[in-house]
Amino acid sequence: MAETATRMRRGVARLLALALVAASVLLGTPATAAPRLVSITGSGSTWSQNALDQWRADVRQNNITVHYSGVGSTAGRNAFAQGTVDFAVSEIEFGAEANEAIPRRRFAYMPIVAGGTSFMYNLKIGGRRVTNLRLSGDVIAKIFTGSIRMWNDAAIRADNPGLNLPARRIVPVVRSDGSGTTAQFVKWMNNQYPSIWRPWCRSKGRTEAQCNVLSFYPPGFTAQAGSSQIAGYVAGSNAEGAITYVEYSYAKENGFPVVKVLNKAGYYVEPTANSVAVALTRAQIETGNPNAQNYLTQKLEGVYNDRDKRTYPLSSYSYMVIPLAHENGVTEGKAYTLGRFAYYFLCQGQQKVDLLGYSPLPINLVEAGFNQVKRIPGVVQEARPIRSCNNPTFSTDGTNTLARTAVNPPECDKKGNGQQCTAGTGGAAGTPTENSNNNSGGSGTGNGSAGTPGGTGNPGGTGTSPSVAPTASQSAGPGLVDPATGEVIGNGNGGGGEQFVAGVPVSLAGEGGWRLRHTMMVLAGIVLLALVVGPPLIFRRSGVTRTGTEGPKR
Amino acid sequence: MAPVDTPRTTIPGAATGPADAPRRVRERRGGADLLFRALARGGGVVVLCVMLLVGGFLLYRAQDALGVAGWSFLTTQEWDPDAGAGRFGIAAVLTGTVLIAMVAIVVAVPLATGAALYISEYAPRRIRQTLISLVDLMAAVPSVVYGLWGFFLLQDNVLGLSNWITTYFGWIPIFDVKDSDPRDPLSTMTVYTSSTFVAGLVVGMMITPIVCSIMREVFSQAPPGEREGAYALGATKWGMIRAVVLPFGRGGMIGGTMLGLGRALGETIAIVMIISPVFKIQPHILENGASSVAALIALRYGDSTEAGISALFAAGLALFVMTLIVNFLASMIIARSRSGAASEV
Repeated sequence: MAETATRMRRGVARLLALALVAASVLLGTPATAAPRLVSITGSGSTWSQNALDQWRADVRQNNITVHYSGVGSTAGRNAFAQGTVDFAVSEIEFGAEANEAIPRRRFAYMPIVAGGTSFMYNLKIGGRRVTNLRLSGDVIAKIFTGSIRMWNDAAIRADNPGLNLPARRIVPVVRSDGSGTTAQFVKWMNNQYPSIWRPWCRSKGRTEAQCNVLSFYPPGFTAQAGSSQIAGYVAGSNAEGAITYVEYSYAKENGFPVVKVLNKAGYYVEPTANSVAVALTRAQIETGNPNAQNYLTQKLEGVYNDRDKRTYPLSSYSYMVIPLAHENGVTEGKAYTLGRFAYYFLCQGQQKVDLLGYSPLPINLVEAGFNQVKRIPGVVQEARPIRSCNNPTFSTDGTNTLARTAVNPPECDKKGNGQQCTAGTGGAAGTPTENSNNNSGGSGTGNGSAGTPGGTGNPGGTGTSPSVAPTASQSAGPGLVDPATGEVIGNGNGGGGEQFVAGVPVSLAGEGGWRLRHTMMVLAGIVLLALVVGPPLIFRRSGVTRTGTEGPKR
Repeated sequence: MAPVDTPRTTIPGAATGPADAPRRVRERRGGADLLFRALARGGGVVVLCVMLLVGGFLLYRAQDALGVAGWSFLTTQEWDPDAGAGRFGIAAVLTGTVLIAMVAIVVAVPLATGAALYISEYAPRRIRQTLISLVDLMAAVPSVVYGLWGFFLLQDNVLGLSNWITTYFGWIPIFDVKDSDPRDPLSTMTVYTSSTFVAGLVVGMMITPIVCSIMREVFSQAPPGEREGAYALGATKWGMIRAVVLPFGRGGMIGGTMLGLGRALGETIAIVMIISPVFKIQPHILENGASSVAALIALRYGDSTEAGISALFAAGLALFVMTLIVNFLASMIIARSRSGAASEV
């Protein structure tokens, strides 16, 4: 009896233990437990991918794992709408394009970084890379609609008085995938140069509504998928003459220059962090109703038309599409992780984006971003004092420091004064481009002494020296004249010891038609063929069969 | 002298006894036999089912687009599925696919034949196994690696060849390149990038190992008796190869080529990385701009609308049918040839 009693007691104890385990499993972890970090996945824009990749690498040390695939804004938005990713990054909002559906999933927009859509190019004059090209907006629109096809087009020469541009074909390179960069560029062309853009766009079979915003560039140009590939294409050694549109950071990354674009104040400006910050002070951010779907989206007409000298007109914000509900695989843990990541990049993450080639968010958008993060259910709010972010745009009085401290562009970058700054741009900032145009007119300062050979020794000069080619060729010795062509090599102020000698493209009459060389090539080919094929053929035909004399007599 | 019997042939009369009938063979299958049969049969049926399901699924998802486009799907060059009927079709992409595959075959087949002959006939026994593993290794390299190699290394180095071909053979229509002017020293080389030719070269490199290993297999099966017979008749090594190995392996060569073609038609990511997609029939293989069905699908499936996805399924269906036909032809040719009857290609 005692035995059975102990057995029963053991059984009861076991049952109790089981019940306890079951209860703990069924009830789940207590609600007070801290949410766990799980890995989150996002996809979308390649425009802002360089910044995102940096932030992802930064937060990995805190065990925050963020997977991001730069597949293009359109694909990113689609993936978010289908619920295959936890967040998306895009330059344009859902439904900005004609016939794009707004997803049923609950979401909100949050600006993550600012930047300039820049024009990266690969151009050389006489073997030396051009790093100070300047273009006005209509010229850019004409290049990307195919009506300006040569680098020495009069319109481009007018923008670049200091460059002796070669008679080389322009190769515009566009994105082949659905891209927010394309959309931003198209929006700008459509708003600023409708008379150039719209007829061309319509001629490619796009409808009136589609031409307003297009993520797929109409066919007709060389196309590559993704920002890094398009930039890689332009940076290729064989892509001389190519120009494309990418975020500024890709030009920096590849060590290539970008075009200084003419703004409404008449200055050619590079998309630096400062000029983007100045421009975006004019961006209209939708701040009416924080619960509206389009809350925080941007309207950029003010940016395009800003009359500040320091503005880069193609500046814009990039957005993250964040989930607002636990659906499509978004869990408490994912929301928590996304929140941690967002707090990081909205705050400390902004400190070094200008090194990458972006521009940090201003304080009002960082604050708005913090409020958006709070709307993700499951985010653990962090009481981050916004001052501790060390964001370079913050100031004590609420103004944008980066925009306030931006310096005016140099006078040599003003349109129409016959000068051109020689300093390099983008990733080629350290490589100045010498004034290579002997016929620049020199309407500028008329500083006569700069033109004397070996004179002021001012290689990094601002291109103010009016070229006096005839005098240079007379007095600077025979080294400056090409004996074959009689053209002057180098510019007017050549002859100084450390002077770059820039080659000047010279057009010679081409050799045309069929020449002796070609005849000889054909003859050589025929002789070679005869040598290889001839002997066996003759051998066979001559009736001497392989079996020789023992062969069957015919 | 013993009398000699005149030899006589006895012709037997009609058979007597019960009429002959084939013996009834009674199979007694053991459990293992039955199990194996069931497994083998099941495997075959599953493969067939998967095939049919893939085809059926493609058809099901494609029917929206096909319903909208109708026959214009086969004749339209453009690709803009959101614009409706007559604005999207596979005329251009399918042609592009075939052209890329053709370039690949033209590159791969001579290369593979040479390599296979060397390995099976000429290579010293010591290094033969190494060479075989090397070729197999080449087949194991992922296609994205070929794509990277093609985009960053091959393309830059092959432009000179493209330039040369178009300079001297530009009068042949397919080698013509618009906007190329050999007399202009400043003419840009970009007109030769992202072309059918470059994509075809890369795909050719990818299919070479497959074609090569099939050919090698077939060549090594050439009957030793016939080889020795050829030698005995005084043939040189090359004479023997021409008289015995190549005729014997003809079916395998054609079959291997067709299998390579099948793979070339479906190649995706390497092409995506190289081509610059155009949606018009591009017969100039050296010129910038090419297209391929698989590349189109890979490029667009992520950022398409409902209609676009359905159109992509339709394009995929077309590619599926075409690849199927090519593979059927290949297996038929192999099966009918002497070498193929034994080989399991």
